[in-house]
Amino acid sequence: MRHPHGTGMLDKLRHLPRDARDTLFLLCVIAWVVMPQVNHLPLWCSALAAGVLLWRGKLAWHSQPLPGKWWLIALLAAAVGLTLYTHKTLLGRDAGVSLTVVLLSLKTLELRARRDAFVVFFLGFFSMLTNFFFSQSLLTAAAMLVALMGLLTALVNAHRQVGKPPLADSAKVAGKLVLLGAPIMAVLFIFFPRLAPLWGIPSDGLSGRSGLSSTMKVGTIASLALDDSIAMRIKFAGKPPEQTDMYFRGPVLASFDGKEWVTAFASQTGRYTLPASLQTRGSSVSYQITLEQSNKPWIFTLDAASTKPQIAEHELTQTDELLWISSKPVTDIVRYTAQSYTEFRHGPLQRVTGLEDFVRMPAGLNPRTVALAQQIRSDPRFTKAAASVLVPEVMNRLRTGGYAYTLEPGLYGANTADEFWFDKKEGFCEHIASSFVILMRALDVPARIVIGYQGGQLNPVDGYWTVRQSDAHAWAEVWQEGRGWVRVDPTSAVSPGRIGEFQRLTAPRGAVASAFNTVISPSLAASLRAGWEALNNAWNQRILNYSQSKQLDLLKNMGFNSPSWADLSYVLIGIIVTVSLIGAAWTLYARSQHDPWLRLLYSARKRLAAAGMASTDATPPRELARRVQQHWGAAAQALHDWLLQLETIRYAPPAAQAQSLATLRAQFVQLPKLQALAAATATPSK
Amino acid sequence: MPALNPFAWIRQRFRQWWQSKLPLTDTMTLTQRNVYILPTRAGLMLGITLMVLLVASINYQLNLGYLLTFMLAGAAVVGMHVCHGNLRGLTMHLIAPQAQYAGTIGQFDVKLSHTKRSARPSIGISLLDAAHWAWTDVEPQGSAVVQVGFKPPQRGLHRLPDLTAETRFPLGTFRVWTVWRPKAQVLVYPAPEPHAPPLPPGEPRSGGGAVAHVQNTGEFDGVRGYRRGDPMKLVVWKQVAKAIARGSDELVSRDTQQAQRYELWLDFASCGVHDTEAKLSRLTAWVLTADDLGSSYGLRLPGREIKPSTGEGHKQQCLEALALC
Repeated sequence: MRHPHGTGMLDKLRHLPRDARDTLFLLCVIAWVVMPQVNHLPLWCSALAAGVLLWRGKLAWHSQPLPGKWWLIALLAAAVGLTLYTHKTLLGRDAGVSLTVVLLSLKTLELRARRDAFVVFFLGFFSMLTNFFFSQSLLTAAAMLVALMGLLTALVNAHRQVGKPPLADSAKVAGKLVLLGAPIMAVLFIFFPRLAPLWGIPSDGLSGRSGLSSTMKVGTIASLALDDSIAMRIKFAGKPPEQTDMYFRGPVLASFDGKEWVTAFASQTGRYTLPASLQTRGSSVSYQITLEQSNKPWIFTLDAASTKPQIAEHELTQTDELLWISSKPVTDIVRYTAQSYTEFRHGPLQRVTGLEDFVRMPAGLNPRTVALAQQIRSDPRFTKAAASVLVPEVMNRLRTGGYAYTLEPGLYGANTADEFWFDKKEGFCEHIASSFVILMRALDVPARIVIGYQGGQLNPVDGYWTVRQSDAHAWAEVWQEGRGWVRVDPTSAVSPGRIGEFQRLTAPRGAVASAFNTVISPSLAASLRAGWEALNNAWNQRILNYSQSKQLDLLKNMGFNSPSWADLSYVLIGIIVTVSLIGAAWTLYARSQHDPWLRLLYSARKRLAAAGMASTDATPPRELARRVQQHWGAAAQALHDWLLQLETIRYAPPAAQAQSLATLRAQFVQLPKLQALAAATATPSK
Repeated sequence: MPALNPFAWIRQRFRQWWQSKLPLTDTMTLTQRNVYILPTRAGLMLGITLMVLLVASINYQLNLGYLLTFMLAGAAVVGMHVCHGNLRGLTMHLIAPQAQYAGTIGQFDVKLSHTKRSARPSIGISLLDAAHWAWTDVEPQGSAVVQVGFKPPQRGLHRLPDLTAETRFPLGTFRVWTVWRPKAQVLVYPAPEPHAPPLPPGEPRSGGGAVAHVQNTGEFDGVRGYRRGDPMKLVVWKQVAKAIARGSDELVSRDTQQAQRYELWLDFASCGVHDTEAKLSRLTAWVLTADDLGSSYGLRLPGREIKPSTGEGHKQQCLEALALC
């Protein structure tokens, strides 16, 4: 065969009728818009959209007629039914997204009138926005910029009425619209007042984010260890603290039911509260934290922050466990500055009522651990020993007992502590911390678990420390007489490298990632990654974290003393008015910008008119010259010649024209005044 | 029914008043002053879409949503200026139309040109209120000719109908248009009567005494069948061509004798109908028939008489007289 199949397709594509070509292009753009959210759509929705788009594409390709309206009604009914079945409602975010995608694809089957096309475009724009429910990353933004260009190109193309203009032409126009529109976008983005949600955000708007949870089941933090996404970024004002001191405190887990650690003593009422009584020592560390959305009210700080961090629209209080809690969940990236002291002391100094809560354990579980505690207590050295003696003993056991730190500890049964201490002897930080605390409690030492983040990684490109979900950590606090709660990190005994250094257990990588690492040297990969993350961070800091407080800061820098959002509106209106005035001035200027030759001719005509010789727009200079000669005779020879010259240079090449026009303009000023000529001609005739 | 809807009536009156103020011109350069702009229905839809996007961005606190909304708004604002600029700066020039018969659809040409370095795509020209658009693209610093069809209502000398030029390029969210009242006039001849009776009998030349002589065929047409020996210049070639088209090969010669004895007068006063327009219609048909036959004919109208003659110029003169009668 001389023409392989591929060439035939390409050839057909090139010679498709305009209608079919435009439709196929629009279908591609719609597919591009829907593609990034496929993961978040119900399966039937993705399948229906893909099926309809492919069907429509086939119809366009073969120039076949569109299906009848009964098809559409049936499909629409099915889609609504499935939406109801999946989401139990037609309202709300997720149902709305599914419906938008389905309607967008179904509408392509009904592209008949111009109005239909507009409906597709506007649904397309809305579908672009729904992508942002799921991701606002730089990549998503780039993909949606392409989608916007695609939709605008299709829209421009739809308004080319004549022939079959190339799509590249329309793309150029769309590019122009976007480029020139960008300053408008920037001004609106910067100055449009950021409002609080106009009505309550449906709860499903906040689903689907991972992070620390307020309970700890053995195994939950290990799943986070595989999550490379960023939890927060920190910029230290001065020298950063030691890596071993970088504990970002989250909730304290004190109650254990055998399987799960939870924060509150849910089953106990009338619990005594233990005041935090925080005392700090040494010098403070100032830093700024950009906290990613967590949907939790926890405002992480470096252990321990005594002063309240300020966050716009968040009211913070500190719990007795030193955790700063906001009045509402962190549903967006927030940024705050805080001060912490790495040397501090907290908790009751004497054994007070309430501390016994921290030695409670479910009865009957972990018998071997309890036995171990009894065995330790039976040792004369430890019979009456305080926590300060017992902790080093247990830590020593962890260090020397052949315990290992692993990401894949396997399945634990009911007696998790027993299994850790005696059978498996390996675990992730949560197993270690949990087992440690259980042993401590068995020893009658008040102990509890703290979860949060430990460590971080310095990005050398922008100087930010990055704390990832994989830095999530669980450690213990043990109460000591006279010292209060003391942090003990049993993981550091098992794996000293986990705390402080850059080592993390890395999850086994996929085939692509390992191939990537063999092709690109690890150092290059690391610097690429650092650059990419710095870019991402800049994106988060500048764009995604642009909030009302930042807007007001900007106004403050512009000289407003106590800016409010009303001032923002004034600035916005002021900018709009200024730009409009400049535009109007430009229009006026552009209107006066006639052809310089015409302008010179106009001045000449005005002068002649003043001397009593009227002429019209259509009178050529040659005719003017003739009349001048006729009227004033030889006295006006100079003017006559000047006019003829004016006519000559009209047909000169442009370069010469500009030069001689300047000369002519200069001569025009020097020409004798016509009033004088009139007097001169009048005298001889008398 | 304007009487039923006072707003429509007021609107109508306002438009009439507004249009009557527009200057009559055959060459119109579009400037800020004579180009109008209003959002289309699609533009309003875009506005609603933008509002929905904005509310979604606010409610879900999506900064990227704000970016998208404002990007789209920026593109729409730029699109508005591009749309206005697409028409502004164009020069429309009317190419004077040919005369035509009432009831037929005539065409005239409008030349669009401009000197700017931007392309001017998708510009439509139409009769005002007719919405039969003729679309064209104008190249950068180029020109394009658009044909506009129109159907004159009645005979006479008419100003060309008002025109409108419109564009919705690039986004279709705004309609930019202008109204143009051309100065040029078009001469509209009466519509020729479709099945007019045969030409009237000739009148004897002044001085001759013979009465008009009606031949067997019942028509005076100053022709007879070709006789062997007739000189070629007596052959009425137009008739011959028609005859050949009918499938016969009959030659027709001019009956010089008869033509010498009688002259054909097409008379307003005696053409068999009473209505003035019907009379003019019939006369027009007769003028065309007589011209087709190549015979000499004269025209008598109230207050005007055109001496018998032949030829294209004579025909034009007669038709013009009929149009303006």
